[in-house]
Amino acid sequence: MWLKLMGSAFVVAAGTCIGFTLAGRYAERPQQIRQLISCLTALKSYVGYVSMPLPEALVRSAHGVEGPVREFMEHTAETLKKSGWLSPREAMASALQKVGPRLVFHRPESELCLLLGSNLGFTNREEQQKYLTMVVDELQKIEQDSIKLRDQNVKMYRYLGICGGMMIAILLV
Amino acid sequence: MNLDLLFKIAGVGILISVFHTALKQAGKEDMAHLCTLAGFAIVLLWVVQLLGQLFTTVQGVFKLF
Repeated sequence: MWLKLMGSAFVVAAGTCIGFTLAGRYAERPQQIRQLISCLTALKSYVGYVSMPLPEALVRSAHGVEGPVREFMEHTAETLKKSGWLSPREAMASALQKVGPRLVFHRPESELCLLLGSNLGFTNREEQQKYLTMVVDELQKIEQDSIKLRDQNVKMYRYLGICGGMMIAILLV
Repeated sequence: MNLDLLFKIAGVGILISVFHTALKQAGKEDMAHLCTLAGFAIVLLWVVQLLGQLFTTVQGVFKLF
C-alpha cells in the first residue's frame, strides 16, 4: 500500500516536473528573444559608430544581458578570436551547437542568427547596419508570435503535466 | 463487485475532462477530441472485460452452452 502510494507520488511529481519544464521553455523564449534584440541593437551601434572589430563588439554587446544569450554571443566571439579562419556564420553555428540546449530558440530565430552570421563582416558599415535593422525587425515579429504562443501554451503544459502524471498513476495502480 | 474500478473510471473521467478543457483553451480542439477518444478507449477496455465476465455468468446461470 505504502509502496503504491510512494510510487504514485513519484509518478505525479515526475509528470509535474516535465509539464513545468516544457512550460518554462515557452515562458523563457520571448525573454531570450528580447535579450538577443538588445544585443543586436548594441552590436549595430558598435559596428556603425565605433567601428569595433567583430569579436570585441560581440562581447561588448552582450554585457547588459545574462544567461544563455550572453554565452552564445561570448562563445561566438571566442571562436572568432581563436579560429580566425572561420566565418562569423560558422562561429555562430558552433556557438548554437554548444549553447543550443540552454537556448530555447526555435527554428526561425536560429535561421536568422545563421543568416546574420553569413552577412556580418563582409559588407561596409551602412549595409551591415541596414541588415542588422532588418534582422531586429524580424526578431520583433517573432517575439510577438512567441508571446502569443506563451500565453496559449504555458498553462496547457502545466495542466497536461500534472494531469498526465495522475493519469499514469491511475493506470498503473 | 470490485469498487476500485468505479473509482478508477471516475478518476480517468475527471482527468480527461481537465485535459479536454486545457487543450481546448490552447486552441487545439483536434487534440482535445483525440484525448477524449483515448480516455474513452481506455475505459472501454476495462468495461469490456467486466461485460465478458457478465455474459459468462449469464451463460452459466441459464445453462446456455
